[in-house]
Amino acid sequence: MTMPVMRGRVAFIFDEVNFDVDQIVGVKNIKITDVAELAQVAMQAYDPDFALSVRPGDLLVGADNFGYGHPHYPPMKAMRHLGVNGVIAESFSPGYWRGEVSMGFPQVSCPGILGFVRRWDEIEVDWAAGVVRNHTQGTEIPFEPLPQADAEMIEAGGLVPFLKRQAAQQREQKDHANVSGI
Amino acid sequence: MGYTITEKILARAAGLPAVRAGQDIKAKPDFVLAYDFPGYTDVYFKTMKEDFGIERVAEPERFGIFIDHMVPTATAKEEELHINTRNWCAENDVPLFERHGIGHQVAAEVGYATPGAFVVHFDGHVSQLGTFGTLAIGLRRNVMEAFVSDTVSIRVPDTVRVNLRGSLRPGVMARDVFHHLVRRLGPSSCRFQVLELGGPSVAAMSTEGLQTITGLAMFTGALTAIVNPDPVRLDYALPRARKKLEPVSSDPDAHYSAVHDIDLSDLEPIVVVPPTPADTRDLTEFLGLEINAGYLGSCASGRLEDLRAAAKVLEGRRVKTGVSLHIVPTSQELMAAAAREGLVSTLVEAGAFVSSPSCDYCFGRIATMTAGQRAVSTGTLNVRGRMGSPDSEIYLCNAAVVAASAIEGRIADPRPYL
Repeated sequence: MTMPVMRGRVAFIFDEVNFDVDQIVGVKNIKITDVAELAQVAMQAYDPDFALSVRPGDLLVGADNFGYGHPHYPPMKAMRHLGVNGVIAESFSPGYWRGEVSMGFPQVSCPGILGFVRRWDEIEVDWAAGVVRNHTQGTEIPFEPLPQADAEMIEAGGLVPFLKRQAAQQREQKDHANVSGI
Repeated sequence: MGYTITEKILARAAGLPAVRAGQDIKAKPDFVLAYDFPGYTDVYFKTMKEDFGIERVAEPERFGIFIDHMVPTATAKEEELHINTRNWCAENDVPLFERHGIGHQVAAEVGYATPGAFVVHFDGHVSQLGTFGTLAIGLRRNVMEAFVSDTVSIRVPDTVRVNLRGSLRPGVMARDVFHHLVRRLGPSSCRFQVLELGGPSVAAMSTEGLQTITGLAMFTGALTAIVNPDPVRLDYALPRARKKLEPVSSDPDAHYSAVHDIDLSDLEPIVVVPPTPADTRDLTEFLGLEINAGYLGSCASGRLEDLRAAAKVLEGRRVKTGVSLHIVPTSQELMAAAAREGLVSTLVEAGAFVSSPSCDYCFGRIATMTAGQRAVSTGTLNVRGRMGSPDSEIYLCNAAVVAASAIEGRIADPRPYL
């Protein structure tokens, strides 16, 4: 297993601190469950042409304390449906972070990212090197290492696959212990 | 170097001699709590069975389930959710607390706030158990880990220490202290850390006030908040405790990522302006703004000191015609105590609509606002659409401000009424 590839264009920069992600679809649309419908209403307040210009693999960039407030899941479900592969922000609000990591949606905390990219730059998260590369500008910047469980959850593709893998490992250890007569 | 109360609790829960902030561990929660809500408990129950083959939880006494949302039900579907929850609790022998009140308050009343215990929930407002020296963390969906295995995977958090000194002036309440912290320290000041309250004034603060402050910790970015348990808190919590544990406290030389001092005597009543819990302002800036509704309740208010403050303001006065004032005591225990004290009759005679405990007012499921309406509220949140239409507004404030504003029909200063 390896970490998911995060290489793509900066599809949007949310430069507002304490950004409330519910605004991406608008609170009046937060109860829509059909993901295609959600994707249609996403970003209307920020860039009405977003759905047309975004491409699979694109990434989002955020400011400090991204996801503050009372974050719901539909906004990023819409983003994933549109092909967005992850979010890189100056820092994250813990509730939002936990929620999206549990969905297996990569989140990268990278102080300095706002000054490091322009919209539509081609960037890449190099998990092994611990840096974000800006291929358009030929620069790189370190990101903060993820807590172990969060990295494993993203690698596994979300909470349930992560827990299943953990349960299997625990069973294996138990069997091993039984075999060796411990 | 010494250890914080958080490090001590997590070391015991992880079965390790010691842990330090930054360490990734697997810790066994002493208690796993949840209220039934679609997409949460129903999913945990189903996933346990279908994906993990768990027919029954191994240690039912470690769990506690609350029915406090959708109480009373308004649709058959809601009742079906509750039935599913009741059945699961019965099959698993897990304690169920239905209609006892708002779960985070009831959890303290029935002993899950065991000093020194590690508690998990999906909802972050469970942080208020920290009042009693309990480390209680809201994990969102990840609490599922605690339903399918003994432990949860977490990183030991750093701690921000806030020392309180001085005492509150009349008309200023614990609610104002919390929002003042957001303003002073910032809405991301405690991100992924624990907010530890200490200092000379903590011992003199009411338990209810500390529950309010710790219960809102998430709006500083904190994972939870905690208080080193003092005799007043231990007198409440130990006789009710569900587990025999040694209470622990931070060592004097524990490491904090930051230490802040707050002089309570400097504080003024505040309002938190929509649409974000980050926007804390002085009440005096917003006096006179017309309101349609007032709400006194939620897991962050609705306790006796809040009801007393409102009753003091409303005694012998009337809620303005056209304003709806909803007052919802946080638990049955508190409501009965308020009735014995005569608070309920004072509030009702003033024109307040007083209801039995329920979470439903706080998120607009009932007493729903329409576009253009404005509320003053002691609820937890003021984001768009929280209490109804996305085009309605919520100004968060203390219980006395809610009461005074309901009398005047506009945001009002309670101090002339006290």
